[in-house]
Amino acid sequence: MKIRDMAKCLEEFEQLCRAFLKSKNIVDKEGVPSFYIRLLADLEDYLNQLWEDKEGKKKMNKNNAKALSTLRQKIRKYNRDYETEVAAYKENPQESADEEEEKEQGDSGSSSDSDGEEGDEVSATSFLKKKPEPAPEANKFLKSAKGSGDESSSSDDDEDGEDWGSDTVDSGSESSDDGEGKGASLALVFLKKTQESEKSSEKKVSKKKKPKKKERLEEEEGGEEGEEGEGGWEKVKGGAPLVKEKPKMFAKGTEINTVVVLKKLNEILQARGKKGTDRAAQIELLHALANISAENNLGIGILVKIKFNIIASLYDYNPNLAAFMKADMWKKCLECIDELLDILFENNNIFIGENIAEDSESLSISDQPFRVRGCVLTLVERMDEEFTKIMQNTDPHSQEYVDNLKDEGHVCGIIDRLLDYLENKGSTEEICRIYLRRIMHTYYKFDYKAHRRSLGLQGESKSEQDQEESEGEDSAVIMDRLCKFIYAKDRTDRIRTCAILCHIYHHALHSRWYQARDLMLMSHLQDNIQHADPPVQILYNRTMVQLGICAFRQGMIKDAHNALLDIQSSGRAKELLGQGLLMRNMQERNAEQEKIEKRRQVPFHMHINLELLECVYLVSAMLLEIPYMAAHEFDARRRMISKQFHHQLRVGERQPLLGPPESMREHVVAASKAMKMGDWRTCHSFIINEKMNSKVWDLFPETQRVREMLVRKIQEESLRTYLFTYSSVYDSISMATLSEMFELEIPMVHSIISKMIINEELMASLDQPTQTVVMHRTEPTSLQNMALQLAEKLGSLVENNERVFDLKQGVYGGYFNRDQKGGYQQKGGYQRDQKGGYQNKQGYNRGGYNRNHNQSNY
Amino acid sequence: MASRKETAPTTSAVVASTTGTLDSPVKQIQIEGLVVLKIIKHYQEEGQGSEVVQGVLLGLVVEDRLEITNCFPFPQHTEDDADFDEVQYQMEMMRSLRHVNIDHLHVGWYQSTFYGSFVSRALLDSQFSYQHAIEESVVLIYDPIKTAQGSLSLKAYRLTPKLMEICKEKDFTHECLKKANIGFEHMFEEVPIIIKNSHLINVLLWELEDKSTVADKHELLNLSSSNHLEKSLQLLMDRVDDMSQDIVKYNTYSRNLSKQQQQKHQYVQRRQQENTQRQSRGEPPLPEEDISKMFKPPQPPPRMDTLLIAGQVNNYCQNVKEFTSQNLGKLFMAEALQGHN
Repeated sequence: MKIRDMAKCLEEFEQLCRAFLKSKNIVDKEGVPSFYIRLLADLEDYLNQLWEDKEGKKKMNKNNAKALSTLRQKIRKYNRDYETEVAAYKENPQESADEEEEKEQGDSGSSSDSDGEEGDEVSATSFLKKKPEPAPEANKFLKSAKGSGDESSSSDDDEDGEDWGSDTVDSGSESSDDGEGKGASLALVFLKKTQESEKSSEKKVSKKKKPKKKERLEEEEGGEEGEEGEGGWEKVKGGAPLVKEKPKMFAKGTEINTVVVLKKLNEILQARGKKGTDRAAQIELLHALANISAENNLGIGILVKIKFNIIASLYDYNPNLAAFMKADMWKKCLECIDELLDILFENNNIFIGENIAEDSESLSISDQPFRVRGCVLTLVERMDEEFTKIMQNTDPHSQEYVDNLKDEGHVCGIIDRLLDYLENKGSTEEICRIYLRRIMHTYYKFDYKAHRRSLGLQGESKSEQDQEESEGEDSAVIMDRLCKFIYAKDRTDRIRTCAILCHIYHHALHSRWYQARDLMLMSHLQDNIQHADPPVQILYNRTMVQLGICAFRQGMIKDAHNALLDIQSSGRAKELLGQGLLMRNMQERNAEQEKIEKRRQVPFHMHINLELLECVYLVSAMLLEIPYMAAHEFDARRRMISKQFHHQLRVGERQPLLGPPESMREHVVAASKAMKMGDWRTCHSFIINEKMNSKVWDLFPETQRVREMLVRKIQEESLRTYLFTYSSVYDSISMATLSEMFELEIPMVHSIISKMIINEELMASLDQPTQTVVMHRTEPTSLQNMALQLAEKLGSLVENNERVFDLKQGVYGGYFNRDQKGGYQQKGGYQRDQKGGYQNKQGYNRGGYNRNHNQSNY
Repeated sequence: MASRKETAPTTSAVVASTTGTLDSPVKQIQIEGLVVLKIIKHYQEEGQGSEVVQGVLLGLVVEDRLEITNCFPFPQHTEDDADFDEVQYQMEMMRSLRHVNIDHLHVGWYQSTFYGSFVSRALLDSQFSYQHAIEESVVLIYDPIKTAQGSLSLKAYRLTPKLMEICKEKDFTHECLKKANIGFEHMFEEVPIIIKNSHLINVLLWELEDKSTVADKHELLNLSSSNHLEKSLQLLMDRVDDMSQDIVKYNTYSRNLSKQQQQKHQYVQRRQQENTQRQSRGEPPLPEEDISKMFKPPQPPPRMDTLLIAGQVNNYCQNVKEFTSQNLGKLFMAEALQGHN
């Protein structure tokens, strides 16, 4: 205030108001504290004074000036509520100040009192613990108590308000931190509030009442302890054994039985999730407890229960969802789950379920089977998620990633074991869930063994281990079995959707194109995938991409193109496949969204190679687009098949200097250019060469086959392009020459040309005895084409013109003209049918006619 | 080359049919052969493809006849001499020419054209400014491509007085054009040209003809047509596209206008109703508001461009028609020759 930092002042004031609102309850009870009134009054005075001081105001910077005016308005409004009090204060400021002072004395006394008390308590607890290390809670409490003491003794209003404000805000944030934990800090907040209320009330009423207040405070504190018995204070006690040596967990001589151990367990667990709980120590503690119970033969039930809790607290180790587990924790977690599963397998008489109530558990050794609350499945699922998280957070190019990836086998093993277990014991729902986990770990892996087996290469030079490994089921069979079970039994849509997608993906990965396609079509997922949640959508995108690549391998260029079109045309393939975030979006999303998106990312080892994807897309686009372009060179209404491909072509054309192609895209563009000329050899050498092999083609499992297919496609499409482009130059061409030119067998050439003739793409006929193609030469020349285009344009011009006319003439003219238009269209249709020498003339006629028309309209 | 030049003087007057009576001060243009040769030379040396060359015509008016006795070209513009002062250059040129006793009166300008595409806004504007400043000035359009086919194409144009008025007012809305009753055919008027050769020029031409080869002389008989037609069609198509766009623009405009009219009408009616109600209740009527302020009429699209495009289209069509009719004749001739042999 002295430095006229108005912005700061305003902030503080707002904080003060908030604090005041928070303590509203008490204020209601006790009336408005006079120190508060004093503060308000002083502040207003000061502000008014500042306001008058025009000179000073001018000197202030803009921010401050603004803050000042805001503050002034606010305080005016605010003070209206306390008008009488403020007035009273203003009349008699001295008195209340005196009063205040007195009170403060008392207050500081009291707070020091309580301080002492608390100190005692703390020392007591620390005494209990037999360790000088004070529990953090106690520490905090002490601090805050001291803080409040200080505050009350400070006489500067400004300061006072400030401190209060910040303090309250502090405690607010603390309490929000502990939303679920209900830790000691809640008590702290409450305590502080009571203190505040105490103080405020103190300041209002006379000194006499103070002891009473004090009592009340204590009462409240007591009540607090009672209420939150399991809360903060308990924690301190529970924390006590934490630092003890293990054997001392129980008092010496105590008979260790199930009940005691359970009680202990509960104690430990109650500390869980609370602020300041040493999670590592807690895990240690649980381990110790497990050991004790094992030593004392308390039975497996209790052991299982403890194990559950150990794993749970391992998961809890990380405070927030985004962080991933440390390696050692992860190892421990795996071990624990393994052990747990061991136990479960050994003992058939344990029932585990989430729905077994805490009190109906039977853990002691008795004849009836154990009943333990908990769910292994959830634990394993969580483990799987943790694993994904670890993979997401590891640099994919480091050794660490490889090491982590080695654990995948372990994870799969655990899932397998659990699967076995649940198949015997679990409900269908649980089986579905674990099946899905299994599927999720299987679908993206290429089954080399099965692949080799299908090729019939197995046997000769393989080591024994390989032999053994290949004994196992084909992943395809497993996938089939698991997925079919899910299709039949699953009730939640999501699991089934995921299973279908994984199944398709797996089929596609293993080149079972027809199965994959049929499954995709049968599932009707394309219709409603946009309603699914993002992870499923990512899975869907991955599946579509895999499907497209599969189609490409099988030589279904069109299908490949269609499947990849959606992903590629958006230009966000990376994002859609969950393989990385786009920088472009940075300003569009906030940190929170980014975190969520990061969590959705697919681990690196499951990625689909984006370059491969793009290359497959571009090559299939090339194979489709180039012949199409050649066939429709003069068609004004020609549509692009692939925008992306055209874009690449344009980029290639814009290059001022064309060097030899470097990147994959340049290769494809260069190949397209060669293909446009019908030069299949150059095209071939651009698409398949060392660079492209290492970049793209070698990534396919059946490289050789794919390459052969590609060469063949290139030859065929080049032939088509050649015929489209140069048919006007030939009168006839022998098929033998063509077959020689494109290194295709004559029957192949024959079939391609026949197809073109049937589709009316090529105006020619085949002369059987001489094996030649005779061109009919009915394709319009370029001049005729031009005339046709002009005619079309004029047609649209006339239509537009008529529309203007319509507007002027109203309905009648419209009717008249519509008739005429019909006539035009018919004429157009006629033209299109008769692609002959006529056209030219007709085009002219039409042009002439239209011209007249225009003139008449002018 | 030479044959081209040769044809020019021999067809001593290339006169296009004039559009009725000319009420302008210039009824006839007489061009010196020198000017024609100079223009052709200028294009030959500097113009390539679709590039356009321009220059200044000098001469004087005798009665109702404009005699063009000399000309000089504008220098070609390059990017690095952006601060080149054209006016300065012209004055300089004319002064120098006066020193050597050549007519130095500015009577117009000439421009080469590419497949007859000269009807443009730029031409209109500059011709307007010429005609505004020097009443008798004309623009000579030289078509090198047609000339290369064997017949000299040189045409003189002036803006019609109607168009001059419109240009003066700078008002190109459709209403104004309608009032002036101007169509694309009334925009320019063609002035008949007479080429007059001095004896010296005739001598030169004879000499040139002697030098030229036989093939050069008979370009007139060239039968190939598709190239020229394709180009023309291409250009025609572009113009038609433009025209289409313009029409669409106009269409939306008139639709908007009518919509607004309707709104306005409704508003006025509502107002009236309210007022009658108020009157029956004995209240004062609502104050009159400025309706035109509430409903701003949409900006009408300028029609001049459309007019120009129409003129251009007309020009192209004429060109194509001329060309095809000539070619048809040639084809018949060739057929007859073949039959004869």
